[in-house]
This record gives sequence, C-alpha cells and structure tokens, in this order.
Amino acid sequence: MSDAIAELKGEAGVLELHRKFLETGAVPAFRSINEKAIARFEELGFPHPKHEMFSYVNTHEITSTPFQLGTGTVEPAFVDANTYASCEKSRIVFVDGAYEAGLSNTTGLPQGVKLVPLEEALTQADIKTHLEKTIEEENDFFACLNAAFLKGGLLIDVSAGTIMESPLQVLVTGTASKTPTAHHPRLFVRAGRTAEVKLITKYVGTGGGYLVNSMQDFLLDDGASVVLARVQADHAQSWHAEKSRVYQGRDSRFTALCGSGGNKLARVHNEIRLQGEGAEASLSNASVLIDDDQSHHFIRIHHEAAHTISHQLFKNVINDKGRSSVDGTVIVNEGAQLTASHQLINNLMLSDTAHADTKPNLMIFADDVKCTHGATVGQIDQDQLFYLKTRGLSEELATELLTTSFVESLISQIQFPEVVVDLKNLLLKKLEVKSD
Amino acid sequence: MTDPVKSPSVEEVLEDKGQYKYGFTTDIESDTLAKGLNEDVIRFISKKKNEPEFMLDFRLKAYRKWLTMEEPKWPNVHYPPIDFQDISYYSAPKPKKVLESIDEVDPELLRTFEKLGIPLDEQKKLANVAVDAVFDSVSVATTHKKKLMEVGIIFCPISEALVEYPELIEEYLGTVVPVGDNYYSALNSAVFTDGSFVYIPPDTISPMELSTYFRINTEETGQFERTLIICAENSYVSYLEGCTAPQFDTNQLHAAVVELVTMENAEIKYSTVQNWYSGDPETGKGGIYNFVTKRGKCLGDNSKISWTQVETGSAITWKYPSCILLGDNTQGEFYSVALTNGLMQADTGTKMIHIGKNTRSSIISKGISADRSSNSYRGQVKIGPNASNARNYTQCDSMLVGDKCSAHTFPYIETANSSVQLEHEASTSKISEDQLFYFESRGISRENAIQAVINGFCKEVFKQLPMEFAVEAQKLLALKLEDSVG
Repeated sequence: MSDAIAELKGEAGVLELHRKFLETGAVPAFRSINEKAIARFEELGFPHPKHEMFSYVNTHEITSTPFQLGTGTVEPAFVDANTYASCEKSRIVFVDGAYEAGLSNTTGLPQGVKLVPLEEALTQADIKTHLEKTIEEENDFFACLNAAFLKGGLLIDVSAGTIMESPLQVLVTGTASKTPTAHHPRLFVRAGRTAEVKLITKYVGTGGGYLVNSMQDFLLDDGASVVLARVQADHAQSWHAEKSRVYQGRDSRFTALCGSGGNKLARVHNEIRLQGEGAEASLSNASVLIDDDQSHHFIRIHHEAAHTISHQLFKNVINDKGRSSVDGTVIVNEGAQLTASHQLINNLMLSDTAHADTKPNLMIFADDVKCTHGATVGQIDQDQLFYLKTRGLSEELATELLTTSFVESLISQIQFPEVVVDLKNLLLKKLEVKSD
Repeated sequence: MTDPVKSPSVEEVLEDKGQYKYGFTTDIESDTLAKGLNEDVIRFISKKKNEPEFMLDFRLKAYRKWLTMEEPKWPNVHYPPIDFQDISYYSAPKPKKVLESIDEVDPELLRTFEKLGIPLDEQKKLANVAVDAVFDSVSVATTHKKKLMEVGIIFCPISEALVEYPELIEEYLGTVVPVGDNYYSALNSAVFTDGSFVYIPPDTISPMELSTYFRINTEETGQFERTLIICAENSYVSYLEGCTAPQFDTNQLHAAVVELVTMENAEIKYSTVQNWYSGDPETGKGGIYNFVTKRGKCLGDNSKISWTQVETGSAITWKYPSCILLGDNTQGEFYSVALTNGLMQADTGTKMIHIGKNTRSSIISKGISADRSSNSYRGQVKIGPNASNARNYTQCDSMLVGDKCSAHTFPYIETANSSVQLEHEASTSKISEDQLFYFESRGISRENAIQAVINGFCKEVFKQLPMEFAVEAQKLLALKLEDSVG
C-alpha cells in the first residue's frame, strides 16, 4: 500500500490516499462529512505560490510530500511527562489524531463537563449541521483535509452554568516516523450559557516526521467564557497545521494566549465570529524561532454584531533563518456599530537571514467604530543595550535580558502558572542557547 | 440651541447631490481608428506617429505579452468585464497646420480649458507654469518650452521625443515598468498614443513646476498615456498632473503608465490631483476606470522620489505609485488623500521596495469614504536582505461618513533584514459629534465645521502639494462637500 501512495504526489496522492481510507479505515458515521470535505478539497486544490492566503507560507514541502495516515502509539510515561501537575485528573490525549481513552484521565472534571465521542455527538442535529455547513464554507485546504480524514474526535460539552475551576489539558501527540505521516485530530467545544471553560492544548511529538493537522470548533453560548492556553512544542522536524473556528454568542468571551516554538512549518488559522452583541475575543501569541523554524499565523476576526470587541497581540523573536508571518484581518460587518478592535504585531529580528512578514488588514463596513492596527519590525534598542552595559551587564547578558523580556511580558499573562513555566522553558531556552 | 430646524447630519452634508461640474463634451472632429485591437492596429499607431523601429518592436513585444496575461482579480473592486475589442485605440484631433500662437488653437478647445479654469494664455503669465495639454491623446499645445530649453530641460509630448530623442527613450522606456509588469501596463505599452517626456540634465534645478492637464474627450476612446521623467545627477523637478473629464454614459478605461528615474542626488516630486467623472452617484453609470501603473526608480545614491496624490474622482481607481529604492541612502515618499463618494471604488496605495543601504521611506495615506463607496488602502513595504538600516514609517487613516460605505486597509510588510526600523499604524474613525458640537458652539456652521475637520484630517498630505495644487485640492474637496448641501 505504501509503495503505491509514495509514487503519487500532490493532489492525486491525497485523493488516492482518501479513496483507500474510505475503503478501509473510514467510520460510517463520518462518511458523508468525509466525502463532502474531499469534494471541497478537490475544488480548492493545493495553493499555488500566489494564493493570497498562503502568500507568506511556502507549502511546497507539505504538498509535495506523500503522507500516509499515522497509527503510532506512545508510552504512558511520555504522556505523564507532558501533563501539567494540576491536570493529572483532567487530561485527554490524542495520539496520531485518535482519541486515546486509555491514556486520558477525566475523573477530576466537574459534573457539567461531558466528553462525547464525535460520532455519537453527530446524532445531535445542531452539531451535524454545524460540521456540514462549515465544510461548505471552508477555504483552507488544511481544514478540508482534516474533515476528509475525520474518523474520531471528541465533543467537550460544558453545560450551562458549569464553572471549571481548574483547566482541562488536551495533549496532542505525534509519533516519530521514518516515512512522513499525517494525522487529523478534531475537537469540538460547546460552552453552554454562562459556562466557564478553561483549556490547555499542548502539541508534542515523540520524534520528527509527522504532520499534525488539527481542527477545533468552539461554540460559545450567551455569556459563556473560554480561556485557552496553547503550547506548540512540536518536534523540530515535524509540520504543524491548526485551525480554530470560534462562534461567539451575546456577551461571551474567548481568550487565547499561545506560545509557539515553530517547527519545519507551523501554521495556525484562527477564524473568530463575534455573532452576539457584547462578545469579546482576545488572541495573543508569542513565537521564538531559531535555526530553520517557521511559525505562521492567519487570523480572520468577523465582527458581526454591534458592541463587539477584539484584541490581538503578536510578538515574534526571529533568529538565524527563522521565518514568521502574521496575516490578520479584522472585518467589521455592516451594522456592527460601536465595534472596537485593536491589533498589534511586534517583530524582533536578531539576524540578517531572518524573515518577518506582516499583513494587518482592516475591512470596515460600519462607520461608528474604533479600529486600530499597528506593526513594528526592529532590533534590540542600542540605547537600552548601552544602559544595561553601563550597569555592568555583559553584552550577551544584556541582549538576552532584552530579548527574553520582549516575549516574557506576553507569556506571563497566561493564567495557568505551569504553562507559564513550561513556555519559559520552551521559548526562552532557545534564546539562551543562541547568546552563549 | 433653541433652533427647531434640525441641523443636517454629516451624511447629508457630504452627500454629493450636485451634477458633475465638468460634465460637458467638446465637439471636435476626431481622426478615430475603428474599434478593436490587433497587431495591425499597433503597426498603424506606430506608423502614424512616425516612430523609430525599436518602438514598434517594444509595442509588439508588449502586445504579445499582454495576450498571454490575465486581468488582475485581486483588487478590492468590482466592475463588469471590459471588452478590449470595443475600444478605439487611436483618436486624434484632425491634423491642422502648425500653429504660430495660442490664438490659432481651435476656439472650441480653448473654451473647454476655460470652463476647466485653466486658460492656457493666462496661465502662462500668471502661474509661471508650462502646460503640455494632452487633449484626447494628442498634445495640441506646449508652452514655456523655450524657457525650459534655455537650461537644457526637455519637456515635450512623448511622441515628439520618440522622433527627436530616440536614444534617451530607448535607454529608459520600460526600465521601471517592464512591458509585462501587469495586465494594464502591458496594454499601455502596446497601444499608448501620447504622454509627456521630461529630461532634466545634470546640475539643473527646474526653473518652474511642470504641469500637464489630461482630458479625455472622444466618446469610447481608451486613454493610454505614457509618461517618462528622467532626472539626471544633482537635479530637481516638480511635476504636476491634474485631470478632469467630460460626462459620458459608457465606461471609459484609462490605463496610464508613469515611469520616473532619478540619478545620483536627484529628486523628483510628482503631484497629482485627479477628479475624473465618477459616474452617476445613484447607479454608478458612466464613470472612468482609472487603472494606472506609476513607479519611480531611485537609481543613483542619495536620490529621492516623492509622490503626492489627491484622488477625488473616477468610478474605479486602481493605482499604486511606487518607489524602488535601489541606490544607497535613497528616499521614497508617498502622500495620498483618496475621497470616494457615490458608488466609487478605490483600491490605492503604494509599494516601497528597499534594496539599497540606509534607504528611507514614509507613507501617509488618508482615505475618506462616503455614501455607498468603497475605499481601500493597499501598500507594500519590502525590505530586501541587503537593505541594512532601512527605515519605514507608515500611517494610514480612514474616515467613514455614513453606514453604507466601507474602508479597508491591506498592508503587506515583508522584512528580510535585521537592522530595519519599521512602524505601521492605521486607524479608522468617523467625524465625531463632539468635534462638530465644539465648532457649532463657537458659531461655525455645521457645513464649515465638517470641512474644517476634513481639511485637518488631510493636512499632512495637502502641505506636500505645490502651492497652486494645494489650493486646487482644497477647493476640490470643498466643492465635493459644497455641492452636497445644495
């Protein structure tokens, strides 16, 4: 089987793999979704180099690699090592895209939080409709492929009024593979009226060679709140694609604070729809990229109702041959008056071979709004460096202090202390090594 | 405060109910080529203009390239497909004997200029401005030529330059905007009929500001202007361009190409005031399509190119005056005010391509959208790997008037060098009721208050314009607002 696929590259290879997947591995409950999604993928195809959505993301390596579907396993010890202490009794684990109940532990979750396998959840009309509708509107080939190869996944159903005191950790693991494998984890989070959800998603790998193509839907009912911390700590020799779709009801709040270590190609797509009045979304990310690391962010925030608010803050430190891009658009629909939107992108460039691309777009169809965006690209301020040196710090130490503080200010806003420590280890260590 | 009469809202004041002031047609017999485009048409144009051999090759190469290209779909504008075979590619006033003085110019033509407020003969004395008036693709009058020739400046129609200075044209034409650069520039390269050519010799400061008035006349004639300005070492020129057009019912395509080249220590300042017919404010019918490629190349070290534009007309504007900062220590500037009302659509901005070391650029863009119009800023700042110490400052502000219009910002910032300082800021707002209330409490009418706020919003750009143009631009903006009160 593998030989036959290896010969077929590009779109034909994907279609061939999908045909085999439908014959052997598919789950009947998802069949119509799989078929719809692959049809949508055929319409979209792989992006050509001038595709606006991928203008800064070179997908050539991914689209020319013949991926197979990964089916690896991980040791419980590996899972334990990557579990935050406060999440030992509230963790769910995906291995190569499949939910592993055996490795998960959900005994610590409050009563109102139900975990439902997605195939069961499909019997609920609204979930099924939502999934099918989003495929029709999908414009990102990564997300289409996730739905095309969907065979599992999990619905985290948080009932109205439920308050999660401590976070639920979602650990997404890719396994080391000599031949490239792809896996497509899927998460569906539904937060009922005034529910408070706390989530940590962490992406790790036992080795290189995998593509994690993950997809999350968040449905926030009126007054619900979701606090998400995301740690992208994939193996350096892997690829990471991810899309989150967020639908927000009246007075709901969605807060995501993320840290990205980058890898061969990490691309995160966020689509946020503020559909109810007073909804608020906040999205922040810190990336530290060294060697050949890449981290790309694509954001679309739709203000569809009046009095909605969005904040975005992106901080990238780029060294060596690192590449980063932030392509963010805020769309204020007609009638979405009294919208406030703020977007800031800061890039700190540490080498001449580093690359930073920024596209902060605004599309505004209402007149009574306050929308601002800003972007900066710069290097370490020589005055600040001089000041620290006059205080007796060595050049190396002063540089390290200034670079780490650049990202630390964002990371330390995360409300889960263990995640802050973890991200500091992950991101700031990368900077230390370079200044030595 | 007790006045029971409701003061007009911002929307009402800005709403352009007035007729297009310059909406009239001049009745002059034209020597017009039948509609359609093929290699024979290009050969005809080239022959008609007595062009040298290389020019025909240039045109044919562009035409063949154009055939392989597709119309750009990425701009944020919508319009029905253009039938390029339904356009006549050559139209000139009937050849007349060489005119001795301005009195011999067709009085009909002179009246047109008069209505536009630019009587050639008066302007000559009053404004000290040489006007090379391109009337319906062929220049009919050039003044002040002699004075310019005294200091060695060449300022003439490009068709004339092709005959008299072919070596200069051959060396520079198409070096900034290559024939296959984009769909419309390729079309322009193939079929352009006229435009302006300026050469400023070394160590020369132009004694006057050079100005060209373009005017589209014959119905259904595409206007393909070509401008080439070369500024040699240690020289300076300020070039003004202004446009008004008669009212027509069929859409008119304007695909101009402007190329600027600066040598060492040279500076070109290029200013535009554009007020073409923007179509019926209700249906959008009949407006001009303005698809322009403007680009400057700072070839020599320490040179500078500055673009200033005030865009208040055209049904569709698609225009990105750009700077390629090739030499070390070169500077690029872009100042823009774009006003859209009615059903106008504008997608305009700039490109600053930093290639040389210590290059600097600044972008100030102000967009005002009213009624049901759509106004987009699209700008690229690209810092190449060798552009160490490059600096860029970008500010793009949008103002919305009414809840049916839209304003968009699409900046593209690409950096591949670590010693860069780059800042980008954008904001979107409306005229606040607080500001208007403050003015009104001081006894200033709502209408004047709105004008003051808008002029203040655009001040940074207006002050870059040469004196006469600054006045004209403010008048133009005021005119657009004035008409709306009725």
